[in-house]
Amino acid sequence: MLMKFWPKETHLNFMSLRMAGLVLSIALLTASAFFLITRGLNFGVDFAGGTAMELNATETVNESTVRAAIPFSADVNAAVGTDARHIVVVKFGEAPEGLLGEEFQALTAEEKVERASGATNELVVRSLKEKLAITDDQILRNDSVGPKVSQELFRDGITALVVALVLMLAYIWYRFEWQFSIGAVAALAHDVIITLGVFSFLQLEFNLTTIAALLTIIGYSMNDTVVVFDRVREEKRKYKKMPDRQVIDLALNSTLSRTLLTSGTTLIALLAIFFLGGPVLRGMSFALIWGIVIGTYSSIFIASSIVLSLGMDLTQKTVDDTPGFQGVE
Amino acid sequence: MLQFPFWKVALIVITLIWGVVMALPNVVNMSGAPGFLPKEGVNLGLDLRGGVYLEMEIRPDDVIGGRLEVFARDVRGALARTDSADPVAHLAEVNGRSMTIKLTRADGAGNFPVEDAVARINKVNGPLEGGLAGGKTYDVARAGPDAVLITVPENSENLMMADALAKTETIVRRRVDPDGVAEIAITPSGTSRMVLEAPGEPDPERLKSLLSRDGRMTFNIVDDSPSSIAAAQAGVVKPGYRLLSGPTTGDLLVRSIPEIVGSDIANASQGNDEANRPQINFRLNSNGARKFFETTRANTNKRFAIVLDDVIMSAPNINEPIAGGNVRITGDFTMEEAQDLAAIISAGEMPAKLQFLDQRTVSATLGRDSINAGIQASIIGILLVAGFMVVAYNLLGIFAVISLAANVILIFGGLSGLGATLTLPGIAGIILTIGMAVDANVLVFERIREEQQSGRSLLTAVQAGYERALSTILDANITTLIAAAILYLLGSGPVKGFAATLAIGIVTSVFTAFVVTRWLTVMWIKAFRPKKLSV
Repeated sequence: MLMKFWPKETHLNFMSLRMAGLVLSIALLTASAFFLITRGLNFGVDFAGGTAMELNATETVNESTVRAAIPFSADVNAAVGTDARHIVVVKFGEAPEGLLGEEFQALTAEEKVERASGATNELVVRSLKEKLAITDDQILRNDSVGPKVSQELFRDGITALVVALVLMLAYIWYRFEWQFSIGAVAALAHDVIITLGVFSFLQLEFNLTTIAALLTIIGYSMNDTVVVFDRVREEKRKYKKMPDRQVIDLALNSTLSRTLLTSGTTLIALLAIFFLGGPVLRGMSFALIWGIVIGTYSSIFIASSIVLSLGMDLTQKTVDDTPGFQGVE
Repeated sequence: MLQFPFWKVALIVITLIWGVVMALPNVVNMSGAPGFLPKEGVNLGLDLRGGVYLEMEIRPDDVIGGRLEVFARDVRGALARTDSADPVAHLAEVNGRSMTIKLTRADGAGNFPVEDAVARINKVNGPLEGGLAGGKTYDVARAGPDAVLITVPENSENLMMADALAKTETIVRRRVDPDGVAEIAITPSGTSRMVLEAPGEPDPERLKSLLSRDGRMTFNIVDDSPSSIAAAQAGVVKPGYRLLSGPTTGDLLVRSIPEIVGSDIANASQGNDEANRPQINFRLNSNGARKFFETTRANTNKRFAIVLDDVIMSAPNINEPIAGGNVRITGDFTMEEAQDLAAIISAGEMPAKLQFLDQRTVSATLGRDSINAGIQASIIGILLVAGFMVVAYNLLGIFAVISLAANVILIFGGLSGLGATLTLPGIAGIILTIGMAVDANVLVFERIREEQQSGRSLLTAVQAGYERALSTILDANITTLIAAAILYLLGSGPVKGFAATLAIGIVTSVFTAFVVTRWLTVMWIKAFRPKKLSV
């Protein structure tokens, strides 16, 4: 029904816009680099260490009483939490050493570094329980991450991203040619950097689920790129004499309705998570929504443009189209 | 592509039935069902059911330093001569992962007997448990004219760490779950870490205080003469004694060398005294009971301190020799304290102090909120995607929606069957998969549309559509699967849950989109023989 309104064939000259795309991408990449350098990322406790706490708000437990109950200055804000519950969000690093008790002060310097975060957490929980009579169940969430783990989580996250990029590069190289592989990975790096740039510009919290979102963006953007590449290869084989530029435009046009439909359904699903899934999933779904938009753009304007610039040579590979399982009827 | 022989149909149906059976416990209470059906639904992660996550570490320096201190006692024995010659006096100093033995007395010729000391130390330097028979645990070498350096080679270090981690794991389990009934998961990771997950536990501090104690239990004879205590408080401690204190006893001098140690204790439990106040009962093993009897016989009318981690818990007077080996500690305990202390005492001493690296707590309330929000987002997301597909592709869209439903069932079946854990990001993963699952359908439908436009008959168009789309579908999904696999391997907790649902979702969505939708389409065409399908 809907597809009846879609033109039978589109003839958009995507590749004639590639210079405009290039300029836009370079501008976005430069802006991202600028924000990443000047503002940096707003790391959550996963990567920055320290504590993030959510309290169930009541008449006696609110922003000002919580702030007053904590014996040092912490970042306290009222917010709306999961399932529309009113909450108080408390974030802090380490309390001044003098507040952490004799037992803590007797520790060695190395132990102090490791335990300060946990000891501060205990201090705050104790103060809240004493002064505001908060029960365990009113502490909706209490995450406290020490410096060792936060550094490792960050390192693992970066490793995961790099490994993912390298494996994608290898897979595309195996399935297509090196030009495609470079195009695909450049598009992925482009997506990741610009997404990081947006997180830096908006100062959205960057945590473990954001890394998961980035990896999913990589998977999704790759998915999109592969669909276009498969089509480019097919058209190139069909029309051996046609110039590369036209082949790519043809492939992009014939996959366009699919690209928009799949992006559309995925965006619908993600918007449901963004609006209804609560604050825990909001950062993640925002990254994914942004990633789908940028991923779709990059498979057209980055991946395909790079393949066009590097040229295609399909005479080398005569691998069968179906990776590893020909038995499927 | 369009032939579905009986065995293929059977396989599809069996897969779908398997999915339904595995997914059923998630929606229906299966406790009354026959034995062969699964009873348990998918595992919920801590973020959905509430509970405490703790990551802990034992430091190699502590483990190895502790071992060296124990070895120092053996070295002291080995260097104490029993013949007429002068004993070789020495000072042992543990410095991180090595120990220096300094000899302090020269022999008759004025030389320090370093070579002799090395040989003597090597006699007590046997293999480690689990190590090669006949091997040596430590490297013992001359280090200067009057010193011996003892270091720990890498293979011994690895064995010591593995042993310490295994022991710590057992002790942690016994302390947090003395009756073995709680649903607490303790997972070692790497060479020095472990992760504890306690669903339903609201208070991380209780777990931490249970686990942060060394659990070193000793019984020491007390010197409570006011003059010695006063001298010790002023800084002059009587040799062979230590000044310790306790909440009920105040400062007391106790003998440094204990009479009874942790390994003499068989078990401990919480009980009640005559006035029904909580107390700790414990029973000594036969060796401990014998030592206890002898000590109490030799020290009647002295006080006996029961010391846990250098704190005197109680110091009763020995009125008469005590046989049988049953001991109790009374004090001002709450029921919970008495239970926790009993668990610490029975579990034994930690090989090294536990360091807490990372602690995350989610309350049951937030867990329930998250489940509600997740279910709401899923239902709305799925309905919107389904509606969109029907509007876009009419009949084929309906087939796609049916296979989408099969996909959701198979994802839940897969999660339940594989024992994967569903987390909040995992729910997001399911919704995302559903959005992306239609991709395979869309790729095929778009192909069918193109083939129909270029004038092919319906059957050949469908055939060509599936054939041509296959390589694209596989390529596209393998790349996403790579991303999910990396996420699973390197991620932790909720992120791992996300990766698991994403990976399972990719496999099931390729199956449902490529096989189930195709089967439905083919059945439709064969039954109604339409000339054209509106796509």
